[in-house]
Amino acid sequence: MGNNLVTVAIFAALAALPLFAGDYWTGQFTYYLIYGLFALSLSLVWGYGGILCLGQAIFFGTGGYLMAIVTKGMIFPDLTNSYLGLLVAITGPALLALALGWFLFAGRGIGGAYLAIVTLAIAVVLERLMSNWYALGGYNGLLDIPPLDIGLFGYSYELWDALPTYYVILAIVVTLFLALNILTRSSFGLVLTALRNHPDRLAFFGFSVLQIKLVVFAASAALAGLSGALFVTVDGFVSPTLIGFSLSTEVLIWVAIGGKEMLLAAFLGALLTRFSEGWLSELFGDFWTLILGLAFMASVVLLPRGLIATPLQALTRRRRPTPPPS
Amino acid sequence: MMPFLQITDLDKTFGGLRAVDDFHMSLDAGSLTAIVGPNGCGKSTLFNLITGALTPDRGTILFKGRDITGLPPHKIARLGIGRKFQVPAVFGELSVRENLALPAMKGRITSIRNDTNNARTTAILDQVLLTDKADWKAEHLSHGEKQWLEIGMLLAQAPELILLDEPTAGMTAAETAATAALIRQINQTGGITVLVIEHDIRFIEQLECPLLVMAKGQILKSGNFQSIRQDEQVQELYFGRTEAPHA
Repeated sequence: MGNNLVTVAIFAALAALPLFAGDYWTGQFTYYLIYGLFALSLSLVWGYGGILCLGQAIFFGTGGYLMAIVTKGMIFPDLTNSYLGLLVAITGPALLALALGWFLFAGRGIGGAYLAIVTLAIAVVLERLMSNWYALGGYNGLLDIPPLDIGLFGYSYELWDALPTYYVILAIVVTLFLALNILTRSSFGLVLTALRNHPDRLAFFGFSVLQIKLVVFAASAALAGLSGALFVTVDGFVSPTLIGFSLSTEVLIWVAIGGKEMLLAAFLGALLTRFSEGWLSELFGDFWTLILGLAFMASVVLLPRGLIATPLQALTRRRRPTPPPS
Repeated sequence: MMPFLQITDLDKTFGGLRAVDDFHMSLDAGSLTAIVGPNGCGKSTLFNLITGALTPDRGTILFKGRDITGLPPHKIARLGIGRKFQVPAVFGELSVRENLALPAMKGRITSIRNDTNNARTTAILDQVLLTDKADWKAEHLSHGEKQWLEIGMLLAQAPELILLDEPTAGMTAAETAATAALIRQINQTGGITVLVIEHDIRFIEQLECPLLVMAKGQILKSGNFQSIRQDEQVQELYFGRTEAPHA
């Protein structure tokens, strides 16, 4: 399939990037990759599961804070292992999503715009909460979060330098990207598409809609939590902005511009938007956000499948018999 | 012998309207039965109560002796009750083949493998005449084809009881006749118990099965097509008093 070829080409280009780009851009792209992973988490729950979560930063920020708390030894000073931090930063948001999702989806549940508003409100509330939680740094957040330590069996290898950090993050992102691709093409992906298409019908074929929604919501939260955790180890800093309103809407824009129903497009949406932001803001100053807004509107109105997904799909159209135009 | 499906004292009220009112019915295993009745007589509410989409105010529904009253829809479906909706409810973004693979999973994701190409699917595709369009997206099918696909999806679910809510709505005469033949075939060779709701007289005649006439939430009469058609009370209620029904 042509699709795989495009994917390989893109990740090969990303792998080769540090050969051409200097340390500065390698560092920047490390962030972009993490944002890309975050975008994948939203693509999974929104594009595939049909659940529009407008507060995806809830899970990104929770992951970030949990990672900081563990690796800074704020609860157990002797247990600052990075792997433990990642584990907590993945399971914590997943459990939070299960609890939240149970309230949101049980019974008749809420969906569509109502769900979007409720999740957005939760993000705003959490941002306020973290701003006033002084034990966790309050408005200033937590500083000096140690970098990722990927050592094993007592050996320690901390990711201080740009190059190894970039490749470790890339390896994580590629692995998860492939895993998500397998997942969405599996029988679970089939059920997700059906859930997005016709949720009410699914129950009459024996599927527990609540269970499926909880699973996809929690999986997405786990991914978002992991991206938040990776982010704070690279940045060394966690603050309430990581959990709140603006990051939640930003990731939504990346995914919408890229294309929410296509993992690769959502991922590239994050990378390209963040990359463009760098040089476009230098060229146009504050007008940059206007350009971003216009691009978002163009994608919603003109190309609802996404500015990146539409050409990508044209490029990689699978050869499957299509009906003649009626 | 214990009835296959037994409904007793069933009530469902919406506001002041008694949609299903002290309803009694029992079906034998392997039977084919049609419920006829004017719009608003409570037919679809009855299906909603059997499949768990609605909870009854009173009464019990026993399926193979097991009380299924008030169970959620997915649990009832897993016990072996399949339902076809009036408006074809297929998954438009999935291919025809995938639409059949989904109900075959019976509500459980037991394998990561996406098994859409097996002997059973092929046989069902053949039975509902969609082999040529197996890889089409379901949204591109015609209305009649979607109705047939949904019947195929019920077969893939391998239920013991199938509830069909106006399966020929919006079909041409030829499609209607073919659908009646398909339903008889499912019942006779597949051994699946079938309960049909319908108000298309041509179709009911072609089903060649016992009828129950439903009015105001209750069974008014039962019998075969000829006896029901000649019943004065039914004519008044359903066909109009003076006019004989048109074939």
